Amino acid sequence: MSEKIITTEKLFKRYPVGDGEFTALNDINLTFDKGEFSGIIGPSGSGKTTLLNILGSLDSPTEGRATVLGHPISSLSHKEAAQLRNKHIGFIFQVYNLLPVYTVFENVEFALLLQNRSASERKKEVMQALEWVGLENMANKKPSKLSGGEGQRVAIARAMVKRPDLVLADEPTANLDAKNAHAILQTMKKLNEELNTTFIFATHDEKVMGYLNRLIHLEDGKVAKDEIVTAKTV
Amino acid sequence: MKLAFHLAYKNLMGAGLRTWLNAGVLSFAFVVIIFYNALIDGWNQQAKIDGINWQYGYGHLVNDNYDAYDAFSIKDGHGELPESKQKNLTPILIQQGNLYPNGRMMSILIKGIDPNQGILLLPTQLLNDSKAEIPVIIGKRMSESAKVKTGDEFLLRWRDKNGTYDAATVTVAGVFETNVPFVDSRQIWMSIDKLRKLTLLHNKTTYFVANEQYKYESAPGWRFEDQEYLMREQTRLINAKKVGGSIFYVLLMTLSLLAIFDTQVLSIFRRQKEIGTYIALGMTRWQVVRIFTAEGAMYSVFATVLGAIYGIPLMWYLSITGISFGADGGEMGVIISETLYPVYGMGLIFGTILLVILSATIVSFLPARKIARMNPVEALKGKIS
Ligand SMILES: Nc1ncnc2c1ncn2[C@@H]1O[C@H](COP(=O)(O)OP(=O)(O)O)[C@@H](O)[C@H]1O
Ligand SMILES: [Mg+2]
Repeated sequence: MSEKIITTEKLFKRYPVGDGEFTALNDINLTFDKGEFSGIIGPSGSGKTTLLNILGSLDSPTEGRATVLGHPISSLSHKEAAQLRNKHIGFIFQVYNLLPVYTVFENVEFALLLQNRSASERKKEVMQALEWVGLENMANKKPSKLSGGEGQRVAIARAMVKRPDLVLADEPTANLDAKNAHAILQTMKKLNEELNTTFIFATHDEKVMGYLNRLIHLEDGKVAKDEIVTAKTV
Repeated sequence: MKLAFHLAYKNLMGAGLRTWLNAGVLSFAFVVIIFYNALIDGWNQQAKIDGINWQYGYGHLVNDNYDAYDAFSIKDGHGELPESKQKNLTPILIQQGNLYPNGRMMSILIKGIDPNQGILLLPTQLLNDSKAEIPVIIGKRMSESAKVKTGDEFLLRWRDKNGTYDAATVTVAGVFETNVPFVDSRQIWMSIDKLRKLTLLHNKTTYFVANEQYKYESAPGWRFEDQEYLMREQTRLINAKKVGGSIFYVLLMTLSLLAIFDTQVLSIFRRQKEIGTYIALGMTRWQVVRIFTAEGAMYSVFATVLGAIYGIPLMWYLSITGISFGADGGEMGVIISETLYPVYGMGLIFGTILLVILSATIVSFLPARKIARMNPVEALKGKIS
């Protein structure tokens, strides 16, 4: 039997708008198993990012429960949530969000610095992560010197360096051309298979969907369809 | 914390010119504070030494009827102290007189002192060496205002103890130069024995100057004024100068701290995504607050380094050459030399460094606190206004 790493029960997210409320997530009941390579898909404004942020403990639900890696998201303190993200969850964003004053190496190293790992250990892990994404020889470059594809690879290395249980990728291909998009998807798929890391995407990019094993269709904050699909093999 | 400083350092170095502009302004405030205070301290030290050497000695034993601030007390402000109590004391008698140099009239003080005294730097030995009938020595200010020089003679008029006017010709035996206007302006010095004879005030003394060995024992009719008391006016004035100058550098500090504050507010606004990223990577919001606070605090560290780079050679140079203000204390009634030499105390330097670091940290912390209330999701979207 597979191991459940995320469950959501009757999850709602509402935002106050004017006099009333806007329901961004409407009764979400989902489970994710370890090692999934799945995607939350849907048009812009359907609530993908909102859901991903709650699963990543950056945000909390208005109502209902989300349990991530055994932690109830709503009742975590700031410190506990930070620990959870630091040790177990990697984020990949549409705009990479690399820290501009650091080198590629230092960007990737950051999460390990927060974990107080030794310098030699950090070096070993960072170089390993850069190898995964094929950027070993770019370690000393500044992010401004990288192409878009390279930037997103650094972001993947940064998310993966701590060998998290879960990677949350919000529109990771939106700023990439087709060739680069396929390249990073293949990299992520490979890491998913080799390290058994769970990946959850939020996307409306057809190219991404081709790699996914499961598509969760979101429409106006509701799960419209949740399907297991046969994905491309790398 | 180490991480916060490491990050802060990287971020500041990455920010380039703006960093150095802020640090530069702060370092200027910093150097000005140290320099101004060092100058005042230098003045204070010099004034104390001059005051002790020329005027205060190790304190004054003053006749109770005499008040240095009351001209009317001069006439009868003297008395007789038993010989047994005069050990380690140099008597000075003060009387009023009129001087007629070059046909003008000037009212002055006549001060009598033992020509063999060694406690004050007044060149009283000249009074012994002179062959004149009544030799006097005067200060440079007196020499200039009366337009008389060594060897000149002029008429002196005074009243004896019975109020009878008398007059005689006195000869300038020497002109001395001092920073202490209180032993110079509008006064002449002669042998105390002569003055006592001229005024019939036998054995009378206005005040005694104590030397280092003097031990005060109470004497009825006399009061002891120690160095600190004698310097009180000078000290008050110097403190007032300190406060006056502090207005200038409080302003400078405020300006440079405002620049840091402004930079902080701006950078927190512009770097929302970065803040969100730190949080996504597993920092707590307070850890991020610390990074930004450390960044601001680091301006003061940079300012210290920068200030040291140009400040140390500059201040060292000025402490050797001194600064000439051409000030004459005579007009202001203070002890001040023409050239002031700043004195840099460890307390001053470290106190100022501490002040600058503390205040920079505080003004950096204030805007950074906002991060603790930020919603990381909004920050990542860059939507916080
Ligand atoms: N802070 C907020 N206040 C009000 N509405 C919000 C806020 N954040 C998101 N929304 C709304 O919630 C809906 C879902 O947003 P989001 O999760 O970003 O959608 P997606 O990622 O699928 O494009 C959108 O209509 C958006 O306008
Ligand atoms: Mg989105």
